[in-house]
Amino acid sequence: MSFVEIFQIWLIAFFTLALFSFLYKDNAFYKLAEHVFAGLSAGYYVGLTWNSVIIQQMYDPMIINGKWYLFIPGLLGLMMFSRFFKGFHWISRFSLAFVMGNTAGIFLISELHGKVLPQVQGTMVSINPSQGFGPTLLSLIIIVGVVSTLIYFYFSKEHKGLLGGVARTGIWFIMISFGAHFGYTVMARVSLLIGRVQFLIDDWLGSFSQIFS
Amino acid sequence: MKTTVPVIIAFLSGLVMILAFFFNPEKSIIGRLEPEVLSWVTIVGGFTLLLGVVSIVRVNFNAVRRKSQDWPFKLALLVSVFAMAIPSVLPSSWSPLFGNGPGSIYDWLFNYLDAPMMSTMFAMLAFYIASAAFRAFRARSAESTLLLITACLVMLWRVPMGEVLLKGIYPGLPEWINTYIMGGANLAVQRGIIIGAALGAAAMSLRIMLGIERTYMGK
Amino acid sequence: MTFWLIIAYSLLILIGAVLLYMTFRKGDRRYIYLAVAFYVIFPVVITLDLPADISPEVLQLYEAVEALPDSSTVMLTFDYYASTLAETEPMSRAALRHLFGKDCRIVTMTTIPLGGPSISERVTREEAAACGKVYGDDFVNLGYKANYVAVLKGMGNSIESIYPTDNTGTLLSELPLMRNVQNYDDIDFIFVVADNGVVEYWMSIVNAQYGTPVGSGVTAVMAPKIYAYVGSGQMTGLLGGMKGAADYEKLIKRPDFAVKGMSAQSLVHMFIICSVIVGNFIYFRERKYGRTGSGGKSA
Repeated sequence: MSFVEIFQIWLIAFFTLALFSFLYKDNAFYKLAEHVFAGLSAGYYVGLTWNSVIIQQMYDPMIINGKWYLFIPGLLGLMMFSRFFKGFHWISRFSLAFVMGNTAGIFLISELHGKVLPQVQGTMVSINPSQGFGPTLLSLIIIVGVVSTLIYFYFSKEHKGLLGGVARTGIWFIMISFGAHFGYTVMARVSLLIGRVQFLIDDWLGSFSQIFS
Repeated sequence: MKTTVPVIIAFLSGLVMILAFFFNPEKSIIGRLEPEVLSWVTIVGGFTLLLGVVSIVRVNFNAVRRKSQDWPFKLALLVSVFAMAIPSVLPSSWSPLFGNGPGSIYDWLFNYLDAPMMSTMFAMLAFYIASAAFRAFRARSAESTLLLITACLVMLWRVPMGEVLLKGIYPGLPEWINTYIMGGANLAVQRGIIIGAALGAAAMSLRIMLGIERTYMGK
Repeated sequence: MTFWLIIAYSLLILIGAVLLYMTFRKGDRRYIYLAVAFYVIFPVVITLDLPADISPEVLQLYEAVEALPDSSTVMLTFDYYASTLAETEPMSRAALRHLFGKDCRIVTMTTIPLGGPSISERVTREEAAACGKVYGDDFVNLGYKANYVAVLKGMGNSIESIYPTDNTGTLLSELPLMRNVQNYDDIDFIFVVADNGVVEYWMSIVNAQYGTPVGSGVTAVMAPKIYAYVGSGQMTGLLGGMKGAADYEKLIKRPDFAVKGMSAQSLVHMFIICSVIVGNFIYFRERKYGRTGSGGKSA
């Protein structure tokens, strides 16, 4: 391991432990790490926008391919910054409207065509008992679960009578799903911690042997 | 004009996307217009990334100037912003340390400072979830009991030690959990939520395009 | 060996019980933090290997990739932030090793502005170097462009209209791989690795409108939702969290970080389940007999 590699590992370990120190108590090391992290994250966007957008999507096509009309989206992008000037924030509405309208148009099709239709189609499963107990039960669970969940989230009518009964069934299904969600969430959070601990033990503590050997 | 023209722009830019779905992309005008409009949207979207940066620099610069509470840390924040930003906008032809390619200062700062700190921030959540599990997750009702039992079963099922335990109770139990809980009840609920949310999103998209929904324009 | 394992497990349970008791008596949650730290550190130092079945949805994804003809063109996405690297990077690495092993040509891209391009560049180049793959011929990194909805839709017509250059600024026309890849019609499979909702748009926009098969690796937080898409046939297989990554690593016969992490995962899960049980036991006792523990600091 070279000196640069050891320095890099120790730098990462310092900031990692500084952030973890918050678990004991808020302190200056944690605040420093937190602010440096926020600053670096903000600075990252500058390099990203400059290289990915301004150079690759505007400057190069305009200069190399002669696509001079690309100054129009550039101008629309700059108009966004009018939000920082009192009395001129309305200028940003043109850019926002262009982006929001475009996204809305894509969503209108994709949400219906790509989500509602396939998911409804997937719910139309066979409940023919001849396919066996297990598959039939599963099909019933899916159909009852989907319908009762949709009914539960329908708040335009009071949940009374038959509607109320179906909504209550929906609650039971939702509790099972949220329980599964919670179990998976625990796994997710623990995995992230395992990642950091593996670095601290394998790389950082491992560097001690390199330093003293 | 300040409201009407943006509404018209939103409608037209959305209409292009909807019509393009139904027309041949190579033979029709709308089909050929679609990729150009989309590339314009990505350019405009790129500039919005900088809005947050400008805001954060303004707020912290004022805090440092006024020497408000924790101003040395806010100074460290500003130094970090410029340490990342300035080398990244300089041409890589001047030095391999400039630009955003592998080996640049920008790349090094992200990989050896920003990314590990981001990972650590989220890793701390494991401690909080363990604390919440002991102090807050209570089976106060039949529904919450069902939630907790399902959570415990799924937590057992997803780890090797738990899988061995579940198989000890009944050999087919892990498969049962996968089939009837994850692929049954959970699938059904998530499907219901997806359908409901998708219908809501489609309705909201229509409202935006027709100018009924204008909250994105601000006051 | 079994005797020492039993001793080790008993010690672990005892330590966890003591720390839970201290939390209850003193009302200080830092004892639980200590327990969690201990249960994560211990298996990293002393690995506990236990067998585990491969999840059916992971097998489905593996078989779908395995069924691709060699030299297919695959789009691999790095749609995750650095905050979830521990879950998602093993998936990306396993996918790259599997695809490079089949001599597939890989086009990588990201819809994540904060770190996506850097992560995709670093991980892909490391794995490519290990497999002897050449940039431009065997793999290309397109990088990032803003507004992922427009990006996903735009690539259906022409990738070049959205990405005139790759991540480092080289024109796509100068890259041999990209000369034959104009849009989704030229891509045989899309392998999405994500930690946010963009995976749903890969299905609702790309798979639904252009028919390209999509498989995904997502964080454990996202996984329960994606079961609905696997069930409807929109998604070809799913890697859910670190368990999914570990299963995939075993299937490609390259056990790595995710497999090693499962033993720590086991212990912490068992501890959290015990915490829930003990916490509820205390709650019901207090409801029946009144408060007996100290007030201490609140959560």
